[in-house]
Amino acid sequence: MDLNTSHRFKRRALKFAHLVGLFLAMLVICLPGLWIVLSSLRPTVEIMAKPPVWIPQELSFDAYRAMFGGAGQGGIPVIDYFRNSLIISITSTIIALVVGTAGGYAFARYKFKGKSGIFLGFMLTRAVPGIALSLPLFMIFARLGIIDTHFAMILVYVALNVPFTIWLIDGFFRQVPKDLAEAAQIDGCTLWQAFWQVEFPLAGPGIASAGIFAFLTSWNEYALASQITRSVNSKTLPVGLLDYTSEFTIDWRGMCALAVVMIIPALTLTFIIQKHLVSGLTFGAVKG
Amino acid sequence: MKSLKLSAPTLLLLPAIIVLAAVIVLPLLFSLYSSFTPFRLTKPETIWVLIGFRNYVTALTSYEFWTAFGRTVLLLTIALNAEMMLGLGLAMLVNKATHGQRLLRTLMMFPMMFSPVLVGFQFKFLFNDNVGFINNALQSLGLATNAIPWLIDGNLALFSIIVAEIWSSTSVFAILILAGLLAMPQEPIEAARVDGCTPWQTFRFVTWPYLMPFAFIAMTIRSLDVARAYDIVKIMTDGGPAKRTELLWTLIGRTAYSDGRMGFANAMAYISILLSILFTVYFFRKLAAARQQIGAEW
Repeated sequence: MDLNTSHRFKRRALKFAHLVGLFLAMLVICLPGLWIVLSSLRPTVEIMAKPPVWIPQELSFDAYRAMFGGAGQGGIPVIDYFRNSLIISITSTIIALVVGTAGGYAFARYKFKGKSGIFLGFMLTRAVPGIALSLPLFMIFARLGIIDTHFAMILVYVALNVPFTIWLIDGFFRQVPKDLAEAAQIDGCTLWQAFWQVEFPLAGPGIASAGIFAFLTSWNEYALASQITRSVNSKTLPVGLLDYTSEFTIDWRGMCALAVVMIIPALTLTFIIQKHLVSGLTFGAVKG
Repeated sequence: MKSLKLSAPTLLLLPAIIVLAAVIVLPLLFSLYSSFTPFRLTKPETIWVLIGFRNYVTALTSYEFWTAFGRTVLLLTIALNAEMMLGLGLAMLVNKATHGQRLLRTLMMFPMMFSPVLVGFQFKFLFNDNVGFINNALQSLGLATNAIPWLIDGNLALFSIIVAEIWSSTSVFAILILAGLLAMPQEPIEAARVDGCTPWQTFRFVTWPYLMPFAFIAMTIRSLDVARAYDIVKIMTDGGPAKRTELLWTLIGRTAYSDGRMGFANAMAYISILLSILFTVYFFRKLAAARQQIGAEW
């Protein structure tokens, strides 16, 4: 009886500790983001207040209105940055997907000499630190006169995204059984038809999530963009965020609002792909 | 004649190879060349002067370089180990949860969506000595009387950066390890229990070996962009105060763009590129070995 109660007590205590641990962990994960959102809605006076105001007295969308309402707010052209980010990210994602699908299919379906060597080589190009790569790119692009253009950024981001896109898409094609395409070919499909009408739709959700991942990489990239973009012509949002800090007084509220604008597309897209992303990365580690 | 007809995989891989060669390999060769010159942005003709290994010698004998190097290694060692442990812990916590696991998993991915720039900014805001959340909270709770200069004191600044780095990347480990836990068959664990293993033994000898490949996938992904710490540091402290948080990458950026000493910066960049590549190759090998161990085809 005694042993029984103590055992039950221990079990309860463990369960309680588990819940507390889980709660604390989630708090640490979520709080910083929530704080940013909250700060973007509060007047600057409240952010700067000493002693701190914990319970917001008034909330407004003024920061967002100022940001998108023309060149006010310290003259930071957020709309231009936003447009640049969109153009560069979307175009580079589409190109990276086409190139990556071809490459991923080759890795998943064919056996050839030096396969794992080439794969590793592709990955290594991704391992080059952005800032180290920016030095030669800066010199070459300045020579070619394409610095501060959309074209230069798109080119760079395609190269940046191709290796990882190949990794993901390779994994998704491996999950599609080979027999399906073979059966389609026996039934009279050409190789292209078998790929386009059988294998591609099956790997489709995976390829879409690889695309979203590529989009996010381009959307968030900073080290290269900060050197290759110079002006409103091609500056992206992450670089634009720094416009707020270069001034002597930091506009915390404005920065918070811009941060929220940057995170919303990323948030939405990541929710959509989360399941596929994990399965794409872990292919082969689960089943033989 | 036979060599003119390219095989299917070559043809499929060609676009990828061309893009990577044009945007990454060729520029890297160019930067390798320029690392042997005293090239300065202000003096374009200096690109044609070869000075052998002098840039490398200067880098390898400079105190500034080695402190930045040591600090980078220290930061990565602490951050990666902590991320691994915390990620494992988080994955186990979420795995044990009986209700709302989907929601928890989604919340867990939250930091992954933040770009490093945003992480840097966010923690710059939280750690701000005057208006920051952390100082405000400490003071309101009465744990600190004066404002703690988080980003102004050298050691505290490095600590703050490590916190930011860990916050942003723990979820990569947690998610992949959780994927491993969810995919794991339950029979071996039950068998181990029946055979009288303690929970620790079960974890150490049954669960952990199974999770290894997942941990290595996470490590490989992380090693592909360890340099994202550059963005965080750049925003939070920009290498300051008084170069106390200068990492290899911020040092390279400063030398190249502020001082305009491209040749010298390229020499240092090459050292950091080689480091990154070694790191990635190491984990890639481990990953391949771990996959082999559980019988996956590669």
